[in-house]
Amino acid sequence: ELELLPEDNRSTAEATFDSPEAYKQFLAKLYAGLSVSGQQGPAGDADLQGLDEGFSQYLRLYWMMQELTTEMAVIGWNDGTIKDLHAQNWTSGNEFIRTMYSRLMYQVALNNEFLRQTTPDLLDSRGVGGAERESILGYRAEARFLRALHYYHALDLFGNPPFVTEEDPIGAFLPEQIQSQELFDYIASELEAIENGISPVGSAEYGRANQAAVWMLQAKLYLNAEVYTGSPQYDKAMEYTQKVINTNYDLVDDYQKLFLADNDKNGAQQEIIFPITFDGNNTQSYGGMAFIIHAAVGGDMDPADFGVSSGWAGLRTTSALVEQFPGEAESDDNRALFFTEGQTKEINDISSFTDGYAVTKFKNVDVDGNPGKDSTGEFPDTDFPMFRLADAYLMYAEAHLQGGGGSLSEATNLINDLRERAYGDPSRNISESDLSLNFILDERARELYWEGHRRTDRIRFGVFSDRGVWPWKGNVPQGTTTGAHRDLMPIPASDLGVNTNLTQNPGY
Amino acid sequence: GVVSESASGLPVPGANVIVKGTTNGTVTDFDGNYTITNVQPGDVIVFSFLGFATQEIPYDGQTTINVQLDEDAATLEEVVLIGYGSTSEQDATGSVEKVSSESFNKGAVVSPEQLLSGKSAGVRITPGGGAPGEGGQIRIRGGSSLSGNNDPLIVVDGIPLDQRGVQGVRNQLNSINPNEIEDFVILKDAAATSIYGSRASNGVILITTKTGKKNSPLRLEYDLKVSAGQIIDKVDNLDAQEFRALIESTPGTDPNLLGEYDTDWQDEIYQTSIGAIHNLTASQGFDNFSYRVNYNHTSQTGVLKTDVYERNALNIALNQDLFDNHLKLALTTKGIVDENRFADQGAIGAAVAFDPTQPVYDEDLPFGGYFEHNTMSNDQVIPQLQATRNPLALLETLDGRGKTMRNITNLNAEYKFHFLPELKFNVNAGFDYAENEGHNYRPRYAAGNGLYIQGREYTQEYSGINRNTLLDFYFTYKTELEALDTEMDLTAGHSYQEFYIENNNEYTVADDPGYRVEPSVINRNALESYFARASFDIANKYLISGSVRRDGSSRFGADNKWSTFPSASVGWKIHNEEFLLNSNTLSQLKLRAGYGVTGNQEIGINYGYMGIYSPSVGPARYQFGNQFYNTLRPEEFDADLKWEELQTYNVGVDFGFFNNRLSGTVEAYYRETEDLLATVPVPAGANLSDLLVTNVGETVSKGVEVGLNGTLIQKEDFNWDMNYNITFQDLEITRLSLGENPDFFIPQGGISGGVGNNIQIWKEGYDPSTFFVFRQVYNEAGQPIEGAYADVNGDNEITEADKVPYKKANPDYFMGFTNTLNYKNLDFSFTFRGSFGNYMYNNTQSGNGFVTAGTVTPQDYYSNLNSNVLESNFVNNQLFSDYYIQKADFVKLDNISLGYLFPGEKVDFRTSLTATNLWTITDYDGLDPEISNGIDNNFYPRSTSVVLGLNLIF
Repeated sequence: ELELLPEDNRSTAEATFDSPEAYKQFLAKLYAGLSVSGQQGPAGDADLQGLDEGFSQYLRLYWMMQELTTEMAVIGWNDGTIKDLHAQNWTSGNEFIRTMYSRLMYQVALNNEFLRQTTPDLLDSRGVGGAERESILGYRAEARFLRALHYYHALDLFGNPPFVTEEDPIGAFLPEQIQSQELFDYIASELEAIENGISPVGSAEYGRANQAAVWMLQAKLYLNAEVYTGSPQYDKAMEYTQKVINTNYDLVDDYQKLFLADNDKNGAQQEIIFPITFDGNNTQSYGGMAFIIHAAVGGDMDPADFGVSSGWAGLRTTSALVEQFPGEAESDDNRALFFTEGQTKEINDISSFTDGYAVTKFKNVDVDGNPGKDSTGEFPDTDFPMFRLADAYLMYAEAHLQGGGGSLSEATNLINDLRERAYGDPSRNISESDLSLNFILDERARELYWEGHRRTDRIRFGVFSDRGVWPWKGNVPQGTTTGAHRDLMPIPASDLGVNTNLTQNPGY
Repeated sequence: GVVSESASGLPVPGANVIVKGTTNGTVTDFDGNYTITNVQPGDVIVFSFLGFATQEIPYDGQTTINVQLDEDAATLEEVVLIGYGSTSEQDATGSVEKVSSESFNKGAVVSPEQLLSGKSAGVRITPGGGAPGEGGQIRIRGGSSLSGNNDPLIVVDGIPLDQRGVQGVRNQLNSINPNEIEDFVILKDAAATSIYGSRASNGVILITTKTGKKNSPLRLEYDLKVSAGQIIDKVDNLDAQEFRALIESTPGTDPNLLGEYDTDWQDEIYQTSIGAIHNLTASQGFDNFSYRVNYNHTSQTGVLKTDVYERNALNIALNQDLFDNHLKLALTTKGIVDENRFADQGAIGAAVAFDPTQPVYDEDLPFGGYFEHNTMSNDQVIPQLQATRNPLALLETLDGRGKTMRNITNLNAEYKFHFLPELKFNVNAGFDYAENEGHNYRPRYAAGNGLYIQGREYTQEYSGINRNTLLDFYFTYKTELEALDTEMDLTAGHSYQEFYIENNNEYTVADDPGYRVEPSVINRNALESYFARASFDIANKYLISGSVRRDGSSRFGADNKWSTFPSASVGWKIHNEEFLLNSNTLSQLKLRAGYGVTGNQEIGINYGYMGIYSPSVGPARYQFGNQFYNTLRPEEFDADLKWEELQTYNVGVDFGFFNNRLSGTVEAYYRETEDLLATVPVPAGANLSDLLVTNVGETVSKGVEVGLNGTLIQKEDFNWDMNYNITFQDLEITRLSLGENPDFFIPQGGISGGVGNNIQIWKEGYDPSTFFVFRQVYNEAGQPIEGAYADVNGDNEITEADKVPYKKANPDYFMGFTNTLNYKNLDFSFTFRGSFGNYMYNNTQSGNGFVTAGTVTPQDYYSNLNSNVLESNFVNNQLFSDYYIQKADFVKLDNISLGYLFPGEKVDFRTSLTATNLWTITDYDGLDPEISNGIDNNFYPRSTSVVLGLNLIF
């Protein structure tokens, strides 16, 4: 007998999709790929083998790419080439960049497989019908949204990644490289195609993508169109931003609530359009929020204040962020969430946790200060707000100033909504004449720091690499500019080595 | 009397003549004459001479006893197993080497492979760490695969063992009692191994256990080996005084975190190990029946405290001949109960890192009396969760025990057809079944318990089953074709073998409901095979042999399920040619050459060719609404997965001089592995993981092996035998990438220090154990300059692009040298082993030998440093500096043994004293230059042992 099939909880596709619930579990995997790193949680049976599981988690890597490369964050550890991210001297051998790339393409492959397994023909042949069939066809829109999101991240980070769809086989073939213009067009067409097929706002389960999430992604794609394609499309950005703003999403009253353990129910869910969910008992990872919260705790900080058992003493910020707030760490702007006791503002030694202020934005405690569900204090409940309404407000203002339409008064009002929340009163509201592109870049820093936007923002404003200086950029204390080619990450040497269809991004 | 050769009638000078059971003896003179006195009627006189069959003649008052000795066919005609049959040493055309019990290594050997270490050219046995019962790594001709298994196939009394091993044991070969091993036959080249087809690429070791001998009286034997061992070296790290000085002189540190003590943590965790091996054996043989029964008890403690190994085993061998010897039945069964207490080996790393100024014990802390780095939380003293744990507490608070019960049984029936006795039918039914269970407990007060904060004890229970079933049958037809002056030996058969593994695991977890039962994991695979072999011996001069095996595996898809593994070889027994027949010096000269194809299917995964789905277990659920959903993940697969194939070319010469008093073999091989199975980065997006097991690349290995045996002295009461072997090996990856990019490389060899760091590479043109490092720059005083590396690519930046392949862990050549001396009843033997051209990455130094390794810690404690920091003065880690790639050539005195036999009327009594791992000559700085992967990191030190042996035969 040489035809042996799995006999434990694993099964062939045929056997797996015998039960219709399997489709929703597969869909859950597509989302879970953003928050957990394997099939056991917090670690074990990893999705990717090339790097330690905790490090290879999607959000953790994406966060590192977006924040560590800018003035927002430094990390003190000695893990491989981790410090090269802030120093902007990474190479194509950087394992974090490599694993980000692997993770993105892994997610794309997962979504492709989902689309292969849910074609109407296949559902028919498996005898799936009725409401079940309809919901599974709905899942397909979500899978296409998620794939578009991953390709958007790939476009933003790598420009010209390999391109595979559900039309490709699974094997050891060499995928073709797509150019950023074509990828941009592909993402735009995919999002357009599903815009009306995905659940409308208010009807989707929490955690699942709805129409507003699609619009958010469309708005972000078009806002950055000039970076990706050379031609701006601010009118399109404005169009989708307005669609988002016109939904019944609303700002939560207290900025801090957005980043707490109960942000799926304390009111912040009003504002968060697309979360990556975590749960101390059910969705555990050493990456994701566990990383963002633990790694930011060290020195004299009491881990209990953050709802965790210990700090990993890694992440801090530079003076460049601190100085964005009038009054710096003591600012009246309640978005200035820093820990300064025993910390110095300036960084003398990146390895030393006490160099640089710590950031206290994300916590695993609820609005009343009670810690999250996990009694070990290891895994937070806090969801990561990947898209939230405040970002749409800022995008509206920016798209307007860039000539995308809308009105100046509306733009100013939206910004003032954010500032009123930040200061508790309208005293620090701005006037229409205060609104400038530079102001928006700074306001985005104040509003959205540590939320995974900064690298993209700086590149869009042209101040990421050959312009723009902050502490320890270029690996010198006062900071220096770097080569413009660093606006794109290198295609990892490992994949270039295997896939001879790929050409390295210029400068690497 | 006179002793002469029966064939020629010539006198035999130097033959031994001895009264049995006494030391009364003499030796024949140049004309074969001897005189012996003090012989009593009833005594038995024994005549012996190397190369001749020993004769025993009862003395009943004769005045003259003339003896004619027959040339001992056994030396040249000695039967050697070759897989589904046997041949004689002189008729073997492949690379086949037999190592018999008399040449085994001495000592308190628990793991059978240690018996072989240093004994055979081309075979490198790297002992494991010093844990009791730990197995070694066996490499025949260096291994040929990358990610595939590189261990040889081991066949015990006809049953090929599961190459994945058996769960719950430290070494699956421990189930074979070393005391019961008759011999090992090592099949090295494809001509010898390809009859084992798809599992033969890494060589085959056939282990035969002892059986009772026909027509022999009842024999009872008791053997005892008592051993004591100690480590003789420790990792060189800072003592309390040096550590304090370093912390105090480092800016920004808080010396108040230091303690007042002077603790050598390594002294705290190591102990003198003791062990005892008892063997009680009974054997007896009748005309048609024989038996042998052995009971073994082995117990050994480790040099690491709390580490214990214990074995109770019963071996039974029964042989029955029926129908006038036309049917031979052989049953061998081995029952083994293997019990371990597993020490927490994390203590080894903790002991080199733990602050030496802190005490071992602190009764005021809530950690069971042990000191631990601690902090306050909610007015409670809790452990600093990120800190190094007290090494002794790690050991003493873990109750980790496992028990494996295993039975290996083989029933063999050989039927010689009545109408055609040259035709034999063989059936072999084998069964290897093991059940294991074990647990790990840690009490609630132990700081090393992950549930400390929850105030709960940690418990884990695990169990498993390994089952390996085999059914072989084959025909052999052996005849002489007189017209052609040819002996012909034909074999053909079929084999089916199935392997089943199941494991279960459950343990306490912090989150609800507090306990997790993992779903059972089951893996089954099967092999079906057809095989045939034909051998011809023409005119007793020319040997021709060919074999073919066709294997089918459950691990590959329909298109690749079956593969064929052929071989062909020739031999020329030159010593039987006219011109050499009467040579007095040259007694044997044979040339051999062979070619063959073998395979490797041991890739670890069973369903790698089909897409399967795995559900998530535990907290890897995702929230939709208020519900959490377990997920389903499609696994990566390669529908085209197929066999790895190895082609081997082998030439050899076997020679013997002076009636084989000096004999030897010189051999050379060239091997190419194609469709190499490796876990490689798959092009991003092409599959459902970043790494995939697939067929990619090629390796080439070549080598020369020399083995020499000599009897230096052969006197009346003094013998000196010597065995020397040397092996030159070269292994190179010649193709690796799916995309044919010669610059492509795959990082290998994970090291400690940070996460995701590797120190070795696989790259075309290099040995797979090659290191990949920066070239350190030194100042004029020879001091390494921190962070200064050679700018290899000249871009004025030091980036990964400046890393270069440099040195390797595999040796260029290695050797073994054994001497055995006998003087009257005294015997003395020793074995040296040496390895040259191998390098080691000293991760003990690189991981802990820089200031910030001690001072930059996530919580309020400091960590001890390797003393190398005082030489390098490194502040930050320089993990990839070639400063840490250190020459690890060595010569080891593996064992030295002295024994004395007290012959008695009723009881023979032998006593021996053996020292093992006695002496190492090396320039390497670390604990031990012999670590199989070339990365020295928290290595469990091997002990140096003294063994007292007693052996009684009734």
